[in-house]
Amino acid sequence: MGYAEFKAPKGVIKVELELTDDAISHVSISGDFFMYPEDALERLEQALVGVKADRESLLAAVQRFYSSTGVQTPMVEPEHWVEAILRAAGE
Amino acid sequence: MLPLRVDDAFTSMAIDEALLKLNAEGKSPNTIRFWRWLPSTVSIGCFQSVEREVDLEVAKRYGVDVVRRITGGGAVFHDHDGELTYSVVCKQGDVPDDVIESYRLICGGLVHGFERLGLQAEFKPVNDVLSNRKKISGSAQTRRWGSVLQHGTILIDPNIRQMFELLKVSPEKISDKFIASVFERVTTVVRELGRKPSFDEVRAAMRTGFERLLGAKLVEGELTSEEFELAAKLKPKYAPNGWLKKR
Repeated sequence: MGYAEFKAPKGVIKVELELTDDAISHVSISGDFFMYPEDALERLEQALVGVKADRESLLAAVQRFYSSTGVQTPMVEPEHWVEAILRAAGE
Repeated sequence: MLPLRVDDAFTSMAIDEALLKLNAEGKSPNTIRFWRWLPSTVSIGCFQSVEREVDLEVAKRYGVDVVRRITGGGAVFHDHDGELTYSVVCKQGDVPDDVIESYRLICGGLVHGFERLGLQAEFKPVNDVLSNRKKISGSAQTRRWGSVLQHGTILIDPNIRQMFELLKVSPEKISDKFIASVFERVTTVVRELGRKPSFDEVRAAMRTGFERLLGAKLVEGELTSEEFELAAKLKPKYAPNGWLKKR
C-alpha cells in the first residue's frame, strides 16, 4: 500500500494506492480540493482501477474521466492527479 | 434572510442541505442566513479523510464536535466565540456556470459587508476573501439538483492556537509557505478593526453588503416547517456515527 501527497495550485491531493503487476488494483483519493459534481470522485477512483501506473496510461485515463463526466476541478488539472498517483506508486 | 441561529454542527449542516434540496424543488426561496456553531466544531471537506486531518483525541478533550460537510475544500475550525458563518442558497441559473465566477459573485456580498464594517476587502480566487492581503473569509460551494449552496466563514476572533492543536497540517502544505506563519496569511475582523464588534453588528453589515450586491432589499423570513422537517431527517447523516468516517 503506497501513500503520497501532491500539492496542486488549489488543494492537496492525497492518494492511497495498491498495485498488482504494475497496474492499480485499489486507489483511495482524499484531500481539500473541489470537484463538481462531488460524486465524480468515486467514478475517478473506479476509472483508475486496472490502469498501468505509468504517466502516459494514467494521463489518458484521467483525461477520459474529465471528458466523459464534464467534471470541474478549479485549479486542479489532470496532470496533478497523475503526479499524486505516481508518487504513491513510487512509495 | 433567516434569523441568526446558534446550533450544533449536525443541525446546521442539515439545515443547509434541506434549504438546498427544497430550493431545487421550488419549495424554498433563494435564502441567505447567518449562524454560529455550538459547541465549536471542526468541519472537514467532503473529500477529506477525518483521520488524516483532525486530531480526534484533542477534539474530544476540548468538547469540539467534528462534522463532514457536503461541500469540498479543507478542514476548518469554527470557534463558537470567534466566527460568524453564512450560507447562501439559490438557483444555479442565478449564478455564473463557471465555478470561480460564481464564488466571485457571492463573495462580492461579503466584500461589501467587510467594507461596511470599515475594512478593506477583496475576492481572491478560488474561494477566499482577503483583507490587507490576508484571508478573512473562506467559502465552499456545492451544486446539486439544479441549485447552489455556498457557505463560509467570517473570521471575527477565532482561537488560532486551538485551531492548530485540532488540525493535522500536512507537512507539504507547511513547507510551501514555510516562512509564513498563520498570522501572515490569516487575519480577523478584530485584528483589522481594533475592536470586537457584536455578532449582530457583523450580520447587519453583511446584510447591507448583500443588499448592495443584489441591488435589492432582503426580506426577513423564518425556517418553514418543511425545511425543519427535512433538516431533522438529514441530521443523522452528519452525526458522528453517520458519514464522518466515509473517507
